[in-house]
Amino acid sequence: MLQKREKVLLLRTFQGRTLRIVREHYLRPCVPCHSPLCPQPAACSHDGKLLSSDVTHYVIPDWKVVQDYLEILEFPELKGIIFMQTACQAVQHQRGRRQYNKLRNLLKDARHDCILFANEFQQCCYLPRERGESTEKWQTRSIYNAAVWYYHHCQDRMPIVMVTEDEEAIQQYGSETEGVFVISFKNYLDNFWPDLKAARELCDSILQSRRERENESQESHGKEYPEHLPLEVLEAGIKSGRYIQGILNVNKHRAQMEAFVRLQGASSKDSDLVSDILIHGMKARNRSIHGDVVVVELLPKNEWKGRTTALCENDSDDKAWGESPTEPMPTGRVVGILQKNWRDYVVTFPSKEEVQSQGKNAQKILVTPWDYRIPKIRISTQQAEALQDFRVVVRIDSWESTSVYPNGHFVRVLGRIRDLEGEIATILVENSISVVPFSEAQMCEMPVNTPENPWKVSPEEERERKDLRRSHLVFSIDPKGCEDVDDTLSVRTLHNGNLELGVHIADVTHFVAPNSYIDIEARTRATTYYLADRRYDMLPSILSADLCSLLGGVDRYAVSIMWELDKTSYEIKKVWYGRTIIRSAYKLFYEAAQELLDGNLSIIDDIPEFRDLDEKSRQAKLEELVWAIGKLTDIARHVRAKRDGCGALELEGVEVRVQLDEKKNIHDLIPKQPLEVHETVAECMILANHWVAKKIWESFPHQVLLRQHPPPHQEFFSELRECAKAKGFFIDTRSNKTLADSLDNANDPNDPVVNRLLRSMATQAMSNALYFSTGACKEEEFHHYGLALDKYTHFTSPIRRYSDIVVHRLLMAAISKENKMEIKGNLFSNKDLEELCRHINNRNRAAQHSQKQSTELFQCMYFKDKDPDTEERCVSDGVIYSIRTNGVLVFIPRFGIKGAAYLKNKDGLVISCGSDSRSEWKPGSLQRFQNKITSTTTDGESVTFHLFDHVTVRISVQASRCHSDTIRLEIISNKPYKIPNTELFHQSPPLLKSELVKEVTKSVEEAQLAQEVKVDIIQEEYQEYCQTKGRSLYTLLEEIKDLALLDVSNSYGI
Amino acid sequence: MAGLELLSDQGYRVDGRRAGELRKIQARMGVFAQADGSAYIEQGNTKALAVVYGPHEIRGSRARALPDRALVNCQYSSATFSTGERKRRPHGDRKSCEMGLQLRQTFEAAILTQLHPRSQIDIYVQVLQADGGTYAACVNAATLAVLDAGIPMRDFVCACSAGFVDGTALADLSHVEEAAGGPQLALALLPASGQIALLEMDARLHEDHLEQVLEAAAQAAQDVHILLDRVVRQHVREASILLGD
Repeated sequence: MLQKREKVLLLRTFQGRTLRIVREHYLRPCVPCHSPLCPQPAACSHDGKLLSSDVTHYVIPDWKVVQDYLEILEFPELKGIIFMQTACQAVQHQRGRRQYNKLRNLLKDARHDCILFANEFQQCCYLPRERGESTEKWQTRSIYNAAVWYYHHCQDRMPIVMVTEDEEAIQQYGSETEGVFVISFKNYLDNFWPDLKAARELCDSILQSRRERENESQESHGKEYPEHLPLEVLEAGIKSGRYIQGILNVNKHRAQMEAFVRLQGASSKDSDLVSDILIHGMKARNRSIHGDVVVVELLPKNEWKGRTTALCENDSDDKAWGESPTEPMPTGRVVGILQKNWRDYVVTFPSKEEVQSQGKNAQKILVTPWDYRIPKIRISTQQAEALQDFRVVVRIDSWESTSVYPNGHFVRVLGRIRDLEGEIATILVENSISVVPFSEAQMCEMPVNTPENPWKVSPEEERERKDLRRSHLVFSIDPKGCEDVDDTLSVRTLHNGNLELGVHIADVTHFVAPNSYIDIEARTRATTYYLADRRYDMLPSILSADLCSLLGGVDRYAVSIMWELDKTSYEIKKVWYGRTIIRSAYKLFYEAAQELLDGNLSIIDDIPEFRDLDEKSRQAKLEELVWAIGKLTDIARHVRAKRDGCGALELEGVEVRVQLDEKKNIHDLIPKQPLEVHETVAECMILANHWVAKKIWESFPHQVLLRQHPPPHQEFFSELRECAKAKGFFIDTRSNKTLADSLDNANDPNDPVVNRLLRSMATQAMSNALYFSTGACKEEEFHHYGLALDKYTHFTSPIRRYSDIVVHRLLMAAISKENKMEIKGNLFSNKDLEELCRHINNRNRAAQHSQKQSTELFQCMYFKDKDPDTEERCVSDGVIYSIRTNGVLVFIPRFGIKGAAYLKNKDGLVISCGSDSRSEWKPGSLQRFQNKITSTTTDGESVTFHLFDHVTVRISVQASRCHSDTIRLEIISNKPYKIPNTELFHQSPPLLKSELVKEVTKSVEEAQLAQEVKVDIIQEEYQEYCQTKGRSLYTLLEEIKDLALLDVSNSYGI
Repeated sequence: MAGLELLSDQGYRVDGRRAGELRKIQARMGVFAQADGSAYIEQGNTKALAVVYGPHEIRGSRARALPDRALVNCQYSSATFSTGERKRRPHGDRKSCEMGLQLRQTFEAAILTQLHPRSQIDIYVQVLQADGGTYAACVNAATLAVLDAGIPMRDFVCACSAGFVDGTALADLSHVEEAAGGPQLALALLPASGQIALLEMDARLHEDHLEQVLEAAAQAAQDVHILLDRVVRQHVREASILLGD
């Protein structure tokens, strides 16, 4: 039974009086010890993770160690860590929520072998604080006492090491109990983990940065920045409307000067501000970093400034252009930071020459982050020289008002600069993507499927599920070679003559129990990450490529939706949702399905399912399949027509290909002409998603995950309208229907690129589709603009998206609720779901960014080896799609590259094109108009570039040591590029991006071959990834919509 | 400093209890000789004293007498030293009046008032130390006092509070948990029949969670009943020994 104790606290009230408070404190005999050596597992009632049994000792960090060296304790190599409750509470009270949450996540994370022991609630471990004893001493004493108890509890079988920073404690307890060792943390790392160099380096770096900070606070000299205001003042100011709260967004192209604050929450409604607030200069930014939630005070109107529209490279000489900026916009300065969003940053150490220029103080080094938007970070380390050629992760510790740069410490090395693996790791860290292999504990939860021990349908499941194996002809249509088949389709005629359409989705939730290790891992990843040459799965391959994949000819669990449709009008009469067992009869690929649809039956030789059949049964089966595909197409056409009536946007068609050009890993599966089957499958999936959204929303109105696509702001369309006008088209953006229609009409028969660019501008202007929780939003806001549906969710790809898993669980709960059965497991509450949606949206964005960045990386690597002056491939045709004061933005259809080309170079010379249309640099001036730009030289020659003009550009790579390389474009002629052998541009196939990847990967591989024996890995990986590059058009469509608006900050500079 | 974590990831509350566990309850009946019935209860650090007089003739204005049942008169007061900061008025403020009314409603539902028409039953409750759940402690103390006075009741009235934190219902809130500002529900139950004598909540709580919180409070009230029953039996046993039966 519980024992009651009393704890006396002395608190200080706001008036400054001390208050004596008596709190109860209950102790219990059994607190879960989470050790496999526990002698009474029943009494300790362990749930959650256990320490692993293969460790040589347990380590118990003292409170001070947990506070200061948590990052080292996060190393997965350190095993058997017991965090005492006393230590955790010390972190919570003295280090604040951020650090505490990190500790909590560490404890929850199944991959880390660490547990929390609630020592203060254990009756033998609890020690009351003695009169006059300091908190620090008492904490250390409690932790030691608990360590001793723990040692005896495990029957003295496992030695325990308590690590502390307190010299006195080492003296006092060092040899008090046999089997419980008390040593310092540094000593521990040196003796127990001599191989773990990274941890020891990190330890040194933390120590050093702490010492620096202490020194600094002593000698504090002149202030560089004004102090932040206290939190109460900020909150009161926000409430009264004096200050404005928002998220700081640094302009990537002018990181030194320009940042914008996007308004957040209520303040935007009250004040009459519509646009963002400009923060000009580092001083006004007052130590806030990109992504922080800041509080801003507006400056008086006469100090307002405008944003610059000139193109520029990220150089420090910001006065170089002396451009007149646009009209003034609200400008402000940061007075406080509400929430710091510091993460790990990838940085590069300065090269040797630069170190010299930084002065004698070689201990402190300014490192340059990979992300332009992050200021330089000052770290103290002795390894600067050794780390020169590496990409390194650092963390920011503090930013005092006395220092120009933030202080940080070095964490770990990622890899060499310009090395493919190192650069990919950089992209992953910069997007906060962590992709360690699945741990043993997680794999243990997976079902087995080996040739000796094949996986089978269990009899219980067979009873509970509807069996469609004999009654339905189920088949899947996917890209060639696809392994993870999420979705299958079926269609048949019912006895009453009506049709039954079925969509069957892999039943992932059957294998992934809520809150299991694998579930937590999948939730953290939230999506499968596709980079240019590789991918990181959300679920282990045993599920994604085998047991959950609805392959042909094997029994699989599925979640099905079946509609009964009227035989002629295709009106939906009835709908059924539920778990099923299916056996997919055919695993078709798109091209084959299209051939069958077109009546070209010769394709059957390519379909393996038909190969071993005799002529007669083959004929019968073929007829059945052709009928099903035909009927399916018919239904899809009908559904699509209905949606079109409501104004669904036709962004597929040409648009898909433009976008895809940038995302090469899926590029080559896009056929030249989109096939109708693509649309058929996509339409069925949209229909399924829509009906599931309706169903779960009806059952749980306030806590389901849906997907919204808010209507775009009309202002964002202004650029699109202007551009279209230049070509003589009128774009009506009032509703999604008019937009779709006018985009269809805006087609220049001579130049198909125009339509592609207009469509891509339209997508750019739209906001992102987002997941949200229905409790957080009004019902009118559920609308999906792009698809023109009132409710929409993601249901059809649970293998690669966590949102779909959540929706599957909701659907199962909705079905149970309908049948008056108990709902298994807890559903997410609205608040949790909101949090989860934010996380998934965030991860999706990270996935897109990493994909884009890795694509750019490969583009740069491709062009890097080519000599731009001689290589034919580096010269190409480009289209001007936007005009800036000192240059133009150019789109190169052949490579799918967008970039800036300058018309005025650094020396102030402008471009001019002679009679042979070759360009030269000459002194002169530029004049910018609405949709053209004219360059006039001093000797009177002038050349004008219009929107949508074709020009010839030379592509080169601008290498950068600290940042990613960038593609540089240079206009070499104002005439379209003529390919030597009279072949027209339109017929020359765009360079397949996968070829590009292959080429780059190969060259890297060769380089490696020279160095080490690690030969085949990449090639193998490439082969492997190749197989699953295939994804249905539907998912592509979804992605296009996701991509719709890249970071708006992009549009500020370029 | 970060805010207090009311329920840790391991499922412990601030004072070491788990979500459904009650604080320690100690009670005694018949603490005063001159009253008809009296009782003292400690629920954790919340301490309350209840005294019952009656049934007796209506005191004061006769007009208040009810022709068909007894009048239940409840008064609540809390000692000036009961809270962390000293109170000015021991009784008569708005909060005390409301508490008195709630107690009256609770006991009108439980006492068989129709057996004593035209008479009056007085229940006086004083809180000596307030550490959360004062209403529940008052009801439990008053129940014991009414039993001690030998006034016929339908059943015990057992009360308990419950709160809601991070999707979990917490039974028997302490002062720290109340002060955190989450929803709090007070429930008085007739345990044998499971009927509700009084249910009170004055914070916002989503409809979906109400059932869960209510269930936690009801379970806690049932647990209180077991303890009170034990106290009453103990008291009767001692009394009968004294009487020499």
